[in-house]
Amino acid sequence: MPTEDRAWMESSDEAPRYIRRRQWLKALGVAGIAGFAGCQGDGDGGTETAADTPTDTPTESGTDTGTDTQDFGETATESTPVNQLPEPSGTYDTVTSAAYTTLNPLYNTEAGAGDAIGFALDGGYTFDDQQEYFPLLYDMSTDNGQVWVFEVREGLEFSDPYGEVTAESFTYQIQELHQTDWAGTADSASWGSGVNVEQTGTYEFQAELPSTNILYPESFDPLLYPVPKDLVQPYVEEQDAEGLRQDEELLELQFTGNLGAFVLDEWNRGSGTTYTRNDDYYIQNIDEGPDLFEGAPYFEGASTSVVQEQSSRLGALETGEADVASIPPTRFQEFDEKESVNVLQIPQPYNEIISVNMRDNGWNAGPGNLFRHIPFRQAMAAAINKQNLIDGVFQGLAAPHYTWQPRWSRFYPEGADLSTFGSGDQYGSDYARGLAEDAFEMSEHDYAFDGDTMVNPDGDQVALTLYHSAGQETERLESEFAAQELNNNLGMNVQVEAIDGTRFDNEYWSNNPVEPGTTATVNGEEYTWNAPSPNNGGPRSATSNQAWDMSMVFGLNTFPRNPLTNQFFFDGPNSFYNPVGYYPEFNAPELFQQAREATSVEEVERAFAEIFVNVAREQPYIMLAFPDGLTGYNPDLVGPIENFSNGWNFPAWRFEEG
Amino acid sequence: MGLGRYITARVAWAAAVAFIIVSLTFLLLALSPNPQVQQAATQAALQGDNPQEAREQARQLRGLDKPIHVRYIDYVVGIFTLNWGWSTMRSQPVTEAILSSLYYTAQYSIPWTILTVTIGPIVGLYSSANKYSWRDHAATGFAFFGFSIPNFFFGIILLLVFGIWLEWVPVIYNTNVAVFSLENARQLILPVFVLVTGSIGGIMRVSRNESSEYMNADFVKTARAKGVSPLRAYALHILRPTMVPLSTTMVGQLLLLFAGSSLLVEVVFSIPGLGRVLFESVIAQDTSLVLGTTLVFVFVGVIGNLLQDITYTVLDPRIGYEDR
Repeated sequence: MPTEDRAWMESSDEAPRYIRRRQWLKALGVAGIAGFAGCQGDGDGGTETAADTPTDTPTESGTDTGTDTQDFGETATESTPVNQLPEPSGTYDTVTSAAYTTLNPLYNTEAGAGDAIGFALDGGYTFDDQQEYFPLLYDMSTDNGQVWVFEVREGLEFSDPYGEVTAESFTYQIQELHQTDWAGTADSASWGSGVNVEQTGTYEFQAELPSTNILYPESFDPLLYPVPKDLVQPYVEEQDAEGLRQDEELLELQFTGNLGAFVLDEWNRGSGTTYTRNDDYYIQNIDEGPDLFEGAPYFEGASTSVVQEQSSRLGALETGEADVASIPPTRFQEFDEKESVNVLQIPQPYNEIISVNMRDNGWNAGPGNLFRHIPFRQAMAAAINKQNLIDGVFQGLAAPHYTWQPRWSRFYPEGADLSTFGSGDQYGSDYARGLAEDAFEMSEHDYAFDGDTMVNPDGDQVALTLYHSAGQETERLESEFAAQELNNNLGMNVQVEAIDGTRFDNEYWSNNPVEPGTTATVNGEEYTWNAPSPNNGGPRSATSNQAWDMSMVFGLNTFPRNPLTNQFFFDGPNSFYNPVGYYPEFNAPELFQQAREATSVEEVERAFAEIFVNVAREQPYIMLAFPDGLTGYNPDLVGPIENFSNGWNFPAWRFEEG
Repeated sequence: MGLGRYITARVAWAAAVAFIIVSLTFLLLALSPNPQVQQAATQAALQGDNPQEAREQARQLRGLDKPIHVRYIDYVVGIFTLNWGWSTMRSQPVTEAILSSLYYTAQYSIPWTILTVTIGPIVGLYSSANKYSWRDHAATGFAFFGFSIPNFFFGIILLLVFGIWLEWVPVIYNTNVAVFSLENARQLILPVFVLVTGSIGGIMRVSRNESSEYMNADFVKTARAKGVSPLRAYALHILRPTMVPLSTTMVGQLLLLFAGSSLLVEVVFSIPGLGRVLFESVIAQDTSLVLGTTLVFVFVGVIGNLLQDITYTVLDPRIGYEDR
């Protein structure tokens, strides 16, 4: 039951065209996305997100067809034959921190709602615990990475009177909804006009991409939820986007037939959803997957409850009212010792970083902007001891973050000469000060050290502000630790300030875009901003409403399955997502181009090894740590695993009395 | 002016006040930037399209390209025809969103209001009658405790003790239980208790101070001299004049709590009520829902003030209608 990772910018409203929301998700690990089994909805674990529903994990991607270094975690797939299928029992109860905006699968953009939809409606595919493509509604194959063939599974049925799911159910949806301007569906950008879709049989269709993409499934662009043609056709004929968005059958998932593990009974807008078991779930008859799928699902029902308060969610987990909830690191020990809770540490791709503002309204400590000089960012990274941060703030439940990829990813440049600022020899006052002095030499202004203090040209101590999200205890501790280290090792006076996340996003993080067509010279080359947006408003003169220096408010996604998505951050001045005004000083566009045009995973790996070594060197964001995703489960629940794909085999999950 | 005409005039004035407040709300929202438009432009930029064009399309789709007076007239007409629009935040009509959340809010706010209105003045009177005794100190201590402790914090503590440690009440609010059932009473007892302790403190203190004034007043002494029982003296001769200024405090305080504390209590006890809907709709800038919920709170406010004025005149017949 895949939970698609489309979900960041809430409010699926009447926008005429929609963001590449998966790309958004991928691009923005910011509060509101996580989307992996049961590790959301927390508010204190680093990424604050929407739901605690351990359904599935297909967040970003990575066709890691099983080689070398990757280690996405524990692989506990049951492959042994099952003599007797368990009897369904109990209800699988989850809690979520935010109510859903819509359950209409054509318009959903939220991870939490994606989980709620996923209980009643499977998406096209998922990735198993070996990170292999696992077909649910359709299989995908390609010869050259450019033409992808989709084979729709037979025996898939919508509810009456809509009949069977065929290739046309998907091609009609793609061509008449996603590839038109009027509907503005969530997937519109995934199926841009450059993708040529054609039905080639009753159960087969193909998509021809503008160029090769060997990580196409991992991009989740081709992930679809089926909707009946007859249901949407009247809206298509009238081009009635509002009607399509507000259709009750779509909103209440009344068409899902045998396509999901459960049938939605009720969606109470304020309090959550309830489901009953779907006796005809198609997965019982498929050949792939564990034998246990034959009798799936093994719960009599399921529910999601909106519980905004974290302590209430944890309380519900403890009393057994909820079967899953995410655990903040500060309470890991406490819950780990409880017999009533089984805590899992699940790998996750969101990072903890300090964003430094390289735009014109950053660096408010004097003239110039030292953040723009690589050695200065390196100095900051070298001044903060990563292991002490992990031990002190994350109770040891995190890994050091050196480059834009977790170590368990196959794309991590293992063995390369990688900068490891903040660890070993590359940590310490002398080392950091040496780098800072290199940066002073590059600056036009007279920054210097006066004894232990870093001073500006006026001789005053460099004083900067570091923002963190209000109410996020872990983030506050992290900020204070970083401020202390920067003070001790670089003599900077860093003031830590709390700020509301939404306010920070609107007033500080989002730039005011320049006019399209604006040109500027960056690193000796002239660039034109044809489509400036609040996430990259243009050259460094395009700034936010309020000046700011540093922030820990947002963590970002590193995309261990499909690192190509990282081009949004690092692909030069015109990157889609560049609120901080970072311009790489290595040849990022060419390396990303190599990765995009690769015809094998090995080629992608080679390109990314080079990219990630350079990113580690340039520190576009000051990289600190990868916290573990901590999720507490009912100890009687069998199925959850400490794997990046936790939840892929949700139909086989069940209760067994411990 | 008779009572009927007075009430009619007050209702008309209440309607005018409601109209002004709703108009102001509309104006404020109309002047604030629309994040959905910004979002549409961002998306267009991400797709390599013209963000300006997308912005215009988004404005057009939402009717934001129309002149503000046309939008205002559309809006007012919608209000009177009960067409309050579609809530984008909840994917349902605004009227349905309000009614369904009001249903849950009413389940705790009605018992809360009844208990506050009855217990507050009585405890104050009792305290006044036993001034400076241990009973008075206990009641005063209780009042200050309830008044001082933040509802949000108190709710979490009670939930921890009675929900998680003792497991006497459920942690997650269940919307599927019958309104008049033991199960519902169990899950509502803590929110009602938290709200009652938070609201009776102020009322009890005002009641105590006001009734102290009358405790030895001449008319009370006269009544007692004429053989009126202590209970009757308290209830009719002391409590009644006490209630005149108290009714002002009571309405104001209850309204404040209704809008503010009910949100916090709804968050802690995960009740899908009106406070949460208003708060969340403001955060999500769901204009239709913000306006709809504002209208409900305005309605409750003006009705409360109306009741207060009428109560005044009933409690103190010396207050005439002419001057008001």
